[in-house]
Amino acid sequence: MSAASTDGQAGLRRVAYYKGCLASLSAKELDISTRALAPRVGLELDELEAVTCCGAGDIHEAEPDYYLHLNARILANAEAAKVDTLMTVCNVCTLNLRQANHILQNDEALRERVNDNLAAVGVPRYGGGIEVRHFLWLIAEGEGYELLKQTAHRGLKGLRVAPFYGCQILRPSKLLGFEDPDRPWSLEAIIEACGGEAVDYPAKIKCCGFPIIQAREETALGELIQPIEQAMEAGADAMVTPCPLCHLSLDAWQQKLEASTGRRFDMPILHLSQLIGVAAGFEESELRFKRHVVSVEPVIDKLQA
Amino acid sequence: VSHPLPPAPGKSTMEIALKIWRFDGRTGERALKTYEVEAPDWATLLDVLDIIKDRVDGTLSYRKSCRMMICGSCGMRMDGGAVLACKTRMWDIAQSGHVPVISAMGNLPIVKDLVVDMTPFWDKMRAVQPYLQPGYQIPPDGKEHRISQERMNVVHKESLCINCGCCVSECNSMEADPDFLGPQALAKGWRFVGDPREGHSVERLEDLNSEHGIWDCTRCYFCQERCPKGVDPRDAIAKLGAESIEQGIDRDMGAKHAKWFVKSAETTGWLRETELVPKTQGIVSSIKQMKFAMRLAKHGKVPLPIPPHVAENVNQARALRDLVEHQGRQGALGIVQGERALARLEHHTEGGSHQGQGSRVQADVTPGAEPTRKETDRGEPTDDAAGRPA
Repeated sequence: MSAASTDGQAGLRRVAYYKGCLASLSAKELDISTRALAPRVGLELDELEAVTCCGAGDIHEAEPDYYLHLNARILANAEAAKVDTLMTVCNVCTLNLRQANHILQNDEALRERVNDNLAAVGVPRYGGGIEVRHFLWLIAEGEGYELLKQTAHRGLKGLRVAPFYGCQILRPSKLLGFEDPDRPWSLEAIIEACGGEAVDYPAKIKCCGFPIIQAREETALGELIQPIEQAMEAGADAMVTPCPLCHLSLDAWQQKLEASTGRRFDMPILHLSQLIGVAAGFEESELRFKRHVVSVEPVIDKLQA
Repeated sequence: VSHPLPPAPGKSTMEIALKIWRFDGRTGERALKTYEVEAPDWATLLDVLDIIKDRVDGTLSYRKSCRMMICGSCGMRMDGGAVLACKTRMWDIAQSGHVPVISAMGNLPIVKDLVVDMTPFWDKMRAVQPYLQPGYQIPPDGKEHRISQERMNVVHKESLCINCGCCVSECNSMEADPDFLGPQALAKGWRFVGDPREGHSVERLEDLNSEHGIWDCTRCYFCQERCPKGVDPRDAIAKLGAESIEQGIDRDMGAKHAKWFVKSAETTGWLRETELVPKTQGIVSSIKQMKFAMRLAKHGKVPLPIPPHVAENVNQARALRDLVEHQGRQGALGIVQGERALARLEHHTEGGSHQGQGSRVQADVTPGAEPTRKETDRGEPTDDAAGRPA
């Protein structure tokens, strides 16, 4: 199903949509709000169905050759869909796919070997013609940004929003490269375009702890507390993130932080697509705030006041 | 970001200002002081510090030696990010009018001004036994031990490390767990595990799979971003993980976690999210998490594993794994094979982060700029000093 058919608008830019694991499972609200938003910012999403997990850095660390092949298969499927851009909605997917893509594009002998393997199991060969871009990058500048400003007509009434970038959309910058990894600006630009006020705090570019939240919970919580605490001290009404793993960490594990510190944070955490959706006047059916562990109601109340 | 070339050496000078966090380890006193000097157009951060020390304030302390990115002495932070002072040209910054904040590296106790106590750093390096262990084949009398370039390429990047500490400075895991071996020691660990002459690779992997080893890395990629020599420590840690799993050393929860992603990819294609906790932590620990899980489940955060969410044509993903398993690129070689292509990426250059698109909102605290330290450090920071600069 393409977004264009539901929107009925011509002139949308068609991109392949790689949803990733979490947006299919525990973060369905990310997928739902992304689909609702895409046509309004000029994008027609062509969802890839015959693809797998990118490995989330875990397969890169467990069986790296297999990681390369799984990602080559995703890229090959995107290329077969006759698009030039593969859109992601997750930091970790973005880095894993961009890393594999760069390797395949710049080492012909290796790409040939991988392609022979793909062909042997019935996957189309990958010619290297795909660029992997995060949804954030597609709407932080250019035409997407102009459309975003029109779409966000309801505004955020001066809501104080703390941008949280997370790691793998910024670093390593030689693989990501969209913006200065130490002074990123894209989330701030979007918050302001939506009529909100971006609050600044040092930990916005640091780690949420998610990759080790199961294997090393204490270390992970020691990381997680920094952005939440700093955003709260900076007077944020909510935090926004472009990554569903950061979201899960900030939203669901916040209660563990509260238990271990004896403090209350009650910090609502929004996916990027939800924040813009609120400014665009989306209904709950398109936002699905009920799927959050920390209630988003204070944000809605403040906007309706 | 553009990098206009500075004029030819010696042709002109520049006015340059720095704010430096001064710190006295004996008294705990600290102050952010501004210095303005004239410097040659080719000056590096280290040159500017030399001019300040020579002409303005002889009490300013910092480490230096070679001035050519080899000795690793002059690691420090500029605007919160670790750099080698001798590698950092100041022309672009001076032209932009930006006044950078210079402070000591993070994750290590400060002795004075920009000088940190490297003892914890050297302790961790020592712990990985940074020398070849016996057990390798000794060549017959009169013969050399010859090794192909290809086999040495496996540890090429890690051999470039100059022990400057820039990777350790911003390691997010080490901030939360000061005992974490960290990016430098682990990259050094791989430099020996992967060396074709090493006799104790498997024993080393066993050691590096300890509580504060490989699987304590949170993949924040700060080490990769900061390293001035292109070592890419995070990739070295991934090589250690891959090689451990290849050798069957997979008792750590981190290794089990990683293996579950492989299992998920080849069975359903997508992560089998709900089973991840018991597969990582074991059944007993998972039961202890029940209350937490129940609250998550109320919000749809614990998707039912039945029926499984299966990707189209997942048999292809399974067949791919069977195929690549026998092609000789198992373990760390799967990462090494991509390094030739990755080397084509220009390494992040210093100075570039201060032009073009900066943060639209000016930080009232530059990340990491203020010398705040944990309780294990010398000189307890006071609350006001830990907050915003005056």
